Amino acid sequence: MEPTAQMVAVAVLLPLVAGLICYLVRNAAIRAITVLVAAAALIVDSVLLLQHGPFEYTPGLLLGMDWNTIITAADVALLFVFLGLGLYLRNVLVTAFAVAQMAIIGYFEFVMGVHTQVTPVFYVDQLAIIMALVISIVGSLICVYALQYMKDHEHHLHLHASRQPRFFLWLVLFLGAMNALVFANNLMWLYFFWEVTTLCSFMLIRHDLTDESITNATRALWMNSLGGVAFALGIVLMYLDADTLSLKEIISHGSSPAIVLPLALLVFAGMTKSAQMPFQSWLLGAMVAPTPVSALLHSSTMVKAGVYLVVRLAPAYVDTTLSTLVALAGAFTFLLTAFLAVSQSDAKRVLAYSTISNLGLIIACAGINTPLAISAAIMLIMFHALSKGLLFLCTGTIEHKIGSRDIEDMGGLLGRFPVLTIITVVGIMTMMLPPFAMLISKWAAIEASVKMPLITLFLVAGSAATVVFWIKWIGKMVELPPHATRPKAESMESLYLWPLGLLAAMAVGLSVVVAPVVDAVVKTAVVPYYKTAGMAASGMDLSTGVGFIPVWPLFIVLMLVVVPVYLLVRVRTEELRPVYMCGEQAGDVSSAEFRSLLDKKEMSVSRNYYFEKALGERSLNVWANPVAIALLIALVLGVMVK
Amino acid sequence: MMDLNGVLTVVAVIVLGPLVGGFLFGVDRKLTARLQGRYGPPIMQPFYDFIKLWSKNRIVSSQSQIMYVFGYLFFTVSALCLFALQQDMLMIIFVLAFGGISLIMGAYGVKSPYANFGAQREMLQMVAYEPVLMLAAVAVYMRTGSFMISDIAKLQQPLLFTLPLVFVALLIVLTIKMRKSPFDISASAHAHQEIIRGVYTEYSGPYLALIELTHWYELLLVLGIIALFWATNPIIGIALALAAFLLEIVVDNVEARMTWPWMIKFVWTTGISLTVINIGLLYLLK
Repeated sequence: MEPTAQMVAVAVLLPLVAGLICYLVRNAAIRAITVLVAAAALIVDSVLLLQHGPFEYTPGLLLGMDWNTIITAADVALLFVFLGLGLYLRNVLVTAFAVAQMAIIGYFEFVMGVHTQVTPVFYVDQLAIIMALVISIVGSLICVYALQYMKDHEHHLHLHASRQPRFFLWLVLFLGAMNALVFANNLMWLYFFWEVTTLCSFMLIRHDLTDESITNATRALWMNSLGGVAFALGIVLMYLDADTLSLKEIISHGSSPAIVLPLALLVFAGMTKSAQMPFQSWLLGAMVAPTPVSALLHSSTMVKAGVYLVVRLAPAYVDTTLSTLVALAGAFTFLLTAFLAVSQSDAKRVLAYSTISNLGLIIACAGINTPLAISAAIMLIMFHALSKGLLFLCTGTIEHKIGSRDIEDMGGLLGRFPVLTIITVVGIMTMMLPPFAMLISKWAAIEASVKMPLITLFLVAGSAATVVFWIKWIGKMVELPPHATRPKAESMESLYLWPLGLLAAMAVGLSVVVAPVVDAVVKTAVVPYYKTAGMAASGMDLSTGVGFIPVWPLFIVLMLVVVPVYLLVRVRTEELRPVYMCGEQAGDVSSAEFRSLLDKKEMSVSRNYYFEKALGERSLNVWANPVAIALLIALVLGVMVK
Repeated sequence: MMDLNGVLTVVAVIVLGPLVGGFLFGVDRKLTARLQGRYGPPIMQPFYDFIKLWSKNRIVSSQSQIMYVFGYLFFTVSALCLFALQQDMLMIIFVLAFGGISLIMGAYGVKSPYANFGAQREMLQMVAYEPVLMLAAVAVYMRTGSFMISDIAKLQQPLLFTLPLVFVALLIVLTIKMRKSPFDISASAHAHQEIIRGVYTEYSGPYLALIELTHWYELLLVLGIIALFWATNPIIGIALALAAFLLEIVVDNVEARMTWPWMIKFVWTTGISLTVINIGLLYLLK
């Protein structure tokens, strides 16, 4: 086998094999070893891919059968699975969307009799490689974390028979499906793996089999099936309009106004998968699943498939009305879900809204569709996966430690679990502060948006709201009781500590070298389609032509703040004082008790603002969802304009 | 970016910045006193205060507080240095925000009711002005085609002529940043208010001195941004900034403190509208 063939095989088939081993061999030790080996192999494989660089690859026959036939057969089988699920769940929408997809695909394959041989089968360009890195590295670390988490999870639930074999089947298989999805050149193949990820997420969301998880999984299924219908329709129209199903052909001719309608349908499918408004409810509901599932769905798989498709197709809709509408819809979701996140006190919901918001930003970048904006979108995909994967795992660990994931219950976490808290705080900082790469990407996005002032307005307002929900959360965690000295580091299970530590180290480390990373990794993904990347490294700093970020000087300042204070400043016990309570302090100096009415002793409690009235789901969804629906309708119909 | 000139600029900012900033604070206190019919402290009072605070014993309620003070100081100074080096406006705003966030975290970092309240209010102040500042940077971009401050000086015509509404919006930001009425919500210079001294409640001695020092740098940065509106002639630019500064002192003394919901509504409607209308006009006339 050629090396390229091996790399593709490992990335796509190894997770399938590992998943099946987990499912069939019901032994915890073998499962752990399988997951660890698969994770290591996937990570190495993705790094080799990066080293090798872009390539095309068409596999030969399998046991005398053409791969196209195999995928088509599997596709039809999968649609029957969806139909069966719809009937089993007695859900009209799931059933109807499955039937619709069968009708469209059946008509295309058997009535029109289209059997397109698309070469190459795998079109692995730099964007696909970046996606494979994100999927394989972040996804694998989450799978490793899941080994410990699911043990604790089932311990909490007091299960008689472990349900982990099936859990790891879907979890690990998910990574293979995602890798295949980003490598595929034939839209039909992309569609098949798209549907596989829908199935995986459905299975994982309903894993705990509670009423809530079944309801939410079903919602995720029908919403993504709607996207599937749009996808299928997009394929047929694309074939009729462009006479090809090859992604490579579609995107390498620059702007193609003739195919905007199929493009709009595919973008619509991407938005359902990325849980853009009004489809945000499926991703919010998905949090009922065990935390590794949330981490996986939000960071490296599923929702990233949606934005991948939108960004992937972007070169084909440069300078069209569709592009403007995509930017508008993305920016709208970015703004509104940032507001909604401010109103939430459940940490997982905050993270979920933040994910949807960032995906909106990525889609807005794709819509702005300049070289700089596309570079920003790709950076956001990379760095959001790292930080968000990390934050979900942190939240899951916190939930296991304190039995709650309400931010208001995390007061003083720094004093009790300093290592875990500091990793979480670092994770949040990498999401929102300079000079970390997420903020740099957002900066690039805003600079790129200036040619559309309305989008800029949405982006700056959304950024301000973003800061609020992150600070409120950090603020709660770092709150120390009066009279606190330096907390002692707690011990953590190594399967928790290592994935957390590695993700945090990568989020910070890659930010430090963001400029060379942009030059070496991101640039080559943009230049083939846009001629320039819109940004370039200048030494270790980053320049966009209209702006400049001194990355290293800012990191030096950050080090100056943290390191000397940590190493040199030792506060002596006699220098510590209780906090100011207007002279009504009760109890001893280390408690927050005060004398209330009638000298009754009460603990002082401070809660964060959540602005439920102005920014809560009840107040915003009423009008925001209809507006989002109108935007999507405009997106699909508006393409007729030009 | 950093040649010898750059190094000298940074050194000058770090050394001379507090002298000018502290002096302006002294002027503020003197004028405010006169407006209120008092004699007022000497102009140099902020420096005496600083020295006295600095020489006091170190007292804190938790170790981590100290780091946040340095975060506030260092990132604010960095923002001012980047400004003096004529760097990217948008990035300067983000770096300044890091400083502000550090101050907020310091107030969150102790279980003190007054400090916690102050922290949330300080956060709301930041949320109020942040979009206005960023939109102002975008408005400047519309004129110069760049986010670099160095490109503003190349313009033939002062920014004020084409961005008058943005200028007004920035005056609102200046009021919030100077913590003046009607926006002295998270803490104020006055002796006592409903939340004691908000974000600063748990700071004393040398750390309070460092916070004061940071305010001086911060004031210079915001006045510097104002001065950019007449960058074609630096002397007029500085005069413009000083006029804005004096205006704030008068406004502070004739206005009452308002509530935070009012502040958010006012800045997010009036402030943002001013910049948006200005940007819209530029966009249409282009």
